[in-house]
Amino acid sequence: MHERSLVQNLLRQVEQIVAAEGGGQVAEICVQAGDLSGVEPLLFQMAFADMAPAVFSSSCQLALEVVPVTAVCSQCDHRFEIVDFQFRCPVCQAGSVQVLQGDEVKLISVTINSKHSIEGVAS
Amino acid sequence: MNQRTIIVQRDVLADQKADAAVERKRLGRRGTLVINLLSSPGAGKTTLLEATARHFAGRRSMAVLVGDLETDRDAQRLAPLVPVAQLTTGGACHLELPLVQRGLKALGDPVVDFLFIENVGNLVCPASHDLGEHLRVVLISTTEGDDKPGKYPKMFRTSQAMVITKLDLLPHVPFSVDTVTEDALRIQPELKVLTNCALDGSGISRWCDFLEQQHQQRLAMYHEPAGNR
Repeated sequence: MHERSLVQNLLRQVEQIVAAEGGGQVAEICVQAGDLSGVEPLLFQMAFADMAPAVFSSSCQLALEVVPVTAVCSQCDHRFEIVDFQFRCPVCQAGSVQVLQGDEVKLISVTINSKHSIEGVAS
Repeated sequence: MNQRTIIVQRDVLADQKADAAVERKRLGRRGTLVINLLSSPGAGKTTLLEATARHFAGRRSMAVLVGDLETDRDAQRLAPLVPVAQLTTGGACHLELPLVQRGLKALGDPVVDFLFIENVGNLVCPASHDLGEHLRVVLISTTEGDDKPGKYPKMFRTSQAMVITKLDLLPHVPFSVDTVTEDALRIQPELKVLTNCALDGSGISRWCDFLEQQHQQRLAMYHEPAGNR
């Protein structure tokens, strides 16, 4: 359910990008899902396979990469990977840490096939 | 045939988060603290809100938006006490901002001290959706077991406070306040932990004092000219 809502948001964003780029056929969508994004990769892929063909062509591929959670300590600036959801700085033991990556689902890139020449279009 | 790759690097929920930030600022500026209440089904969100409404009656104003998959049972319970709008998701597992905005409109967009959003009972999906709240509070009842924070880390990581409810049942259930607190603090070391039993009223004034203090602290930035949230 929740994965479907995220895929819906993803497809909407890709549609806007394709329109801004002057159209074309979407060949591949690259997405990163963090360990703290609340996304189950298999369910996300299933939702994508179900929903994407209605918006883009059925040949549109999803490349989904799962990334670890990384954080920086607000006290000593130490950067580290969060293991077992332990959000305490391993160096100075401070509890105030900022998550740098891994708490979101991110659209990384969109690959578009277009029949026309792309002269004059910045890519 | 030309193929090109456009680099985007954008959060899929970026639009939703930007809209939530606008709503948070709009409500914060007029002195409304928005609280997103989350828990498993049956942890006692509505009972806590009933007790909160009784405590604040005549002193502080509040309104409630209550989310459920079906029925308006929770809204009926709260209606004699506070302005309340039921948000039915029709099967969806979490609330999203447009539903919240529709509920606010249905209430006439009231200017209140506290706006509570009682989310759908679920410790998973609601954690990923910003509803424009200033404060996120997760409830955990003693009957659920003390192993929940580690099982649902995102919910506890994204909350600022945890309220342990149904404290009167402690002698009858295998639940340790220390164990659950330790587990939650590993995930969110800055979490404020409160305990109460809304049925007999114990812990309610502490909870309401906490809300008053949060109202002052979290809305202070909107009074300053340099406030930029």
